[in-house]
Amino acid sequence: MVKEATEKVIPNPFVPYPATLKSVIDLTPDVKLFTLELDRGEDEFDYKPGQFAFVSAFGVGECPLGLTSAAHRKEGLQFAVRRVGSVTNALHQLEPGAKTGVRGPFGNFFPVDDYNGKNIIIIGGGIGFAPLRPVINTILDNRDGYADILILNGARTPQDLCFAAEFDDWAKSPRTKLELTVDAGDENWNGRVALIPDVVAELEPSPKDAIAIICGPPIMIRFTLTKLKQLGFANEQIVTTLEGKMKCGLGKCFRCNVGDKYVCRDGPVFTFEQISQFIEQF
Amino acid sequence: MTKILGKKELESWLSSIMKDRTLVAPKHVDDLTLFSPVQSVEEIAFNYENTNLSPKELFFPRTDTLFTVERKDSEMEITPAVIEQETVIFGIRPCDAWGIATLDGPYLDDPADSLWAQHRAKTTMIGLACTKPAPQCFCTSMGSAPNDSSNVDILLTEVDEGYAVETVTAKGERLLQGVELKESDVKPSVPSCDTDVPAEGIVEATQKVFDDPYWSRLADRCIHCNICAYVCPTCYCFDVRDRTDRGKIERIRTWESCQSKGFTRIAGGYDPRADKGTRLRQRFCHKLLYFPQQFGPLGCVGCGRCVTACPVNIDIREIISDLQELGAKVGQGSN
Repeated sequence: MVKEATEKVIPNPFVPYPATLKSVIDLTPDVKLFTLELDRGEDEFDYKPGQFAFVSAFGVGECPLGLTSAAHRKEGLQFAVRRVGSVTNALHQLEPGAKTGVRGPFGNFFPVDDYNGKNIIIIGGGIGFAPLRPVINTILDNRDGYADILILNGARTPQDLCFAAEFDDWAKSPRTKLELTVDAGDENWNGRVALIPDVVAELEPSPKDAIAIICGPPIMIRFTLTKLKQLGFANEQIVTTLEGKMKCGLGKCFRCNVGDKYVCRDGPVFTFEQISQFIEQF
Repeated sequence: MTKILGKKELESWLSSIMKDRTLVAPKHVDDLTLFSPVQSVEEIAFNYENTNLSPKELFFPRTDTLFTVERKDSEMEITPAVIEQETVIFGIRPCDAWGIATLDGPYLDDPADSLWAQHRAKTTMIGLACTKPAPQCFCTSMGSAPNDSSNVDILLTEVDEGYAVETVTAKGERLLQGVELKESDVKPSVPSCDTDVPAEGIVEATQKVFDDPYWSRLADRCIHCNICAYVCPTCYCFDVRDRTDRGKIERIRTWESCQSKGFTRIAGGYDPRADKGTRLRQRFCHKLLYFPQQFGPLGCVGCGRCVTACPVNIDIREIISDLQELGAKVGQGSN
């Protein structure tokens, strides 16, 4: 415990990097893909798949969003933003050229290098698929480094499936299977109509030399976990990224804690082995 | 020998401090006693048990500007807030000073909170030992004492001839420069704080009782008014939002409480602590379990404010006793 706080100038960790909105693309009726460019360049903004940042809609506030771009592709900082609250509503009003701010990157990441040589199962529901896109694109850009890949993307309706423009690229990748599912189809939908946990049970991915990565609403994560366990997956083979109400990303506001762990600093990426040690339910 | 500052000398010292610094001191405001900036010694309340609100707001204001944003045509300028004002706090109680030191744990943890660090650097604390602990006080049980000087820059203890002066830090020494102190062989003494709260081993006990229905039973009467968090010297959760006024944008942070409905509700509507039981458990587990696990000390300094402020008598002293009792039962395997 310090007696006198240090006199040296400490940078204000709440001040974002000024950024400019480069492009906005509609992904679904309520999700837009924003590409931002930091005004000072991205040399000091090195991020990995699974990390997140706070994006500002000045005048309204800021909110934490998963980075959905893969840094090595140098396509700018991308965020898939679903319109749900005041900040995301304000972001949806912005047009290219708008000034915004980015604070981050925060949190840990999916250790994709540790998964080298393994079969990878990637399961995402709804907007929960956004932080998995950089995992997919990092793995597929280093395709030889991994064994079989299964991607399962689910959404409420066919219109709500994110990143449809990239489905062909993913499916065309060697030893890669892309499976889509929706809760409710429409007249043009010939694909699966089923809940993600049920599709997992149907596809029966083998736990042998495999890592399963899940992201989605908490209820989907819980039921999918149950199915994977029934298939023989051990807790340490299942990885997820959690969501938490957050105001700082710095371990200070104490909004995102699950027991003594912070989603923002200790996570957001956790194995189920770690989650099984949590005192509190996420 | 004890250094003594006479009552008259104290007044002229405080008056001289006011000339070039902000002096904040306890002041009677209607029925309350609050830390307020004072312009003359007459405004200062010398006779008080403790202030109704803790002095944490001098370091962590209820509303604090983090930075401002100005837009000029297509350009945008972000200006971080800077704390320039030198402040002296007179009359801070040892428990509250300990509360401030406790919050250095999260706030100075890397990356440090620059506003907290600046407030800390610009503030000198003159503590006043408690000569009359209040009925709700239990600082001694929590590891402090009515005359604990560990977290202030100067500690004053009232004696017959004036105030016994203990200079604790270099900052305190600078503030006392040129002030004439008498020598005396009087030994300052203060009564101990008698309420006995069984805080020893509370971390382990709380952990054992985590899943007990105790929390939801206790929460039945909570009206989530949040007063406990607002009066608490060690509650530090906050909210961040923007405030706009004719083109000027400020990003501000404000106090927030874990008892608020929606405190943890995420986009899409899911709330991991949707019921009062889990929220009340969060309050006490943060103070008695997570905070000590993360930073060492308990997140309670025994000031007793929440005990008197709570409209439905949720009493942390009773809760600590209950947790010890329940935890012991778990230990015996009979629960």
